Amino acid sequence: MSEFVQYLVNGLTIGAFLALIALGYSMIYGVVRLINFAHGDVFMIGAFAGFGTLTTLGVTGGMALPAVLAAVAVGALTTGVVGTGIARAAYVPLLSSPRLALLISAIGVSLALEEGVKVLTSARFKSYPNALDGGRLLSGAVRVTYGQLALVVLSVVLMAALWLFVTRTVTGTAMRALAMDRDAARLQGVNVERLILATFFVGSMLAGAAGVMYGLYYVQISFGMGFLIGLRAFTAAVLGGIGNLPGTMVAGVAIGLVQSFSAGYVSSRWTDVIIFGLLIAVLALRPTGLFGERVVERA
Amino acid sequence: MTPLTPRDRRRRTRLLAAAGAGLLLAPLAAACGSDDPAGSGPIKIGVPAPLSGDSASAGQDILAAAKVAAAEINKAGGVDGRSVEIVEADDQCSAQQGAQAAQKLLNSGVVAVAGGYCSGAAVPAIPIYGRRSVPFVMDASTNPSLTDSGKGKVFRTCGRDDNQGTVAAKFMTGELRARRIALLHDNTTYAKGLADAAGESVKQLGGQVVYADALQPGQSDYSPVLTKIASTRPDVLYFTGYFAEAGLLMKQREQLGLKFTLMGGDATTDSTVLKTAGRAAAGYIATTAPLAKDLPAAGRFVSAYKAATGADPGPFSVYEYDAVKVVAKAVDDAGSTEGADITAALHKIKDFPGITGPITFDDKGDRTDPLYITVRVEDGAFTAYKKLDKSGATWVDAKTS
Repeated sequence: MSEFVQYLVNGLTIGAFLALIALGYSMIYGVVRLINFAHGDVFMIGAFAGFGTLTTLGVTGGMALPAVLAAVAVGALTTGVVGTGIARAAYVPLLSSPRLALLISAIGVSLALEEGVKVLTSARFKSYPNALDGGRLLSGAVRVTYGQLALVVLSVVLMAALWLFVTRTVTGTAMRALAMDRDAARLQGVNVERLILATFFVGSMLAGAAGVMYGLYYVQISFGMGFLIGLRAFTAAVLGGIGNLPGTMVAGVAIGLVQSFSAGYVSSRWTDVIIFGLLIAVLALRPTGLFGERVVERA
Repeated sequence: MTPLTPRDRRRRTRLLAAAGAGLLLAPLAAACGSDDPAGSGPIKIGVPAPLSGDSASAGQDILAAAKVAAAEINKAGGVDGRSVEIVEADDQCSAQQGAQAAQKLLNSGVVAVAGGYCSGAAVPAIPIYGRRSVPFVMDASTNPSLTDSGKGKVFRTCGRDDNQGTVAAKFMTGELRARRIALLHDNTTYAKGLADAAGESVKQLGGQVVYADALQPGQSDYSPVLTKIASTRPDVLYFTGYFAEAGLLMKQREQLGLKFTLMGGDATTDSTVLKTAGRAAAGYIATTAPLAKDLPAAGRFVSAYKAATGADPGPFSVYEYDAVKVVAKAVDDAGSTEGADITAALHKIKDFPGITGPITFDDKGDRTDPLYITVRVEDGAFTAYKKLDKSGATWVDAKTS
């Protein structure tokens, strides 16, 4: 029983990052109809920006919550800027081209970011400062650290902030309008290009924050870290019904749980088979994802 | 002219394609045949290593060591009056890239190859070098099958996994008095081979293998795996994969508050581990060939390496250095750049003073004196811990002897 609870705790922690990254995929797809394959690498850049911040601040260990919040903020802002720059340079000029051109452009950006970071920082793994190493909340048969709790709380806060932004602000409302119908939104006076850039800014910020959290939790980052986790987050976005934000959040956490339980009860080497098998099964039975009614309306 | 039937057309296409391929390959073939017997240009030695991907840092340590060795040889006048040139190829630690890297090195006219890191990348490369009789001196590919198969002209300056597995099993059952042993690998040829070899020996020595499975590298979260392992109540977990996962295992084992001893193989003795795991690394034990700093003869190499790269040598740098040196020696002895002559010369080398000890190859190409020791993390550094004495039955302090 205690093992089950431990798997649950671990799964929820992983799910919290995955949901944050998946939200970016989902938002960008909703607005531009583009699977941004560079999103996983934007996440990686966030991890490196946070790493730079923590090492500059000289944090080495212990529970340094203010430094962590600063690192998350710097990571998010950096990736917001990088994401917007990418959109401006590689996607906006191709908006009226066939979808394939956008897709290839995204893959190119992904490789350029990975190789760029590798050249700039060397191929070595970087060891993150243990800035969330501050004791345990539970330390019996089930272990929960304050660090894990802090990360989950931070994810929930960011997701709630995103929800308020999308539903309560003018920009958020315009984004939803754009996701429904680009031409109609343009006719209503929405500045489409600027709004696309704003979407990239917000979506990339979430991935950047997730990158810093990932670094804090796993304490080891590398230039290639974005690929696999990006693919899993993408799976979560699809399962959640891509474009559907609450669905994406739920699916992100669900994928985290699947990862944890499959590694615990089956074997870690089967995890990817199970996750992507699940994706194929869901797509075969419900092509719009588990919560994807809105996509049907669009089609 | 009668119109072409589809079959004729296909035949014509095939002919054209063949002619085109011939044209493209002609200069390539010329390049392959450029073994210049007159001997004017530099002697090229190939170094395949993972220069990108997850093992890139290990690959770069190996390449840097090869360059240090080549620079030393050239400073001392080269081989037969010719300078030595290192030709690098990225094998990405994968079988597919390994084969391509081998082809690339042959195309650039290397007379011998000294390098490799992952056994998985060496497996497809060996027959490719073998077909052209180019000798391959491996520095870090430790899978027993590589030299057992006898498919190529293969040698190695490092030890073998079955040898390391036996040492690990003796240490766990003897020195640590462990009865219940868990084995974890990562499904690579190297890690699985080492885990199998260790498991075999553990059973022979009367221990019990309570868990044997693989983790998925790159996943970052191994707490489910560790939780599952803990449920089998092992005395020791022996992890045979690579350093990136080892550091995370130490860290997460501590986070979960698990008490069993964590041990690893020689691919885990990288300084990254210590930074990643922090204080969770204290007491970690690894079986490994002696590290550069535990080898008295390696002092000069370590300072040359530091001067060239600004960093400490990686775990396999000394073996790569010796591999390049022994190849140069063989070319010198053979007085020829023909693969068959160099191979014969390599077999004749006796007690070559390598920095990893005297080098003599047996018939298969393995070293006659492979030595593994255990190291332990003390004060944030891997420190020589215990080694078997000459009888192979008693553990003695590795630092003093």
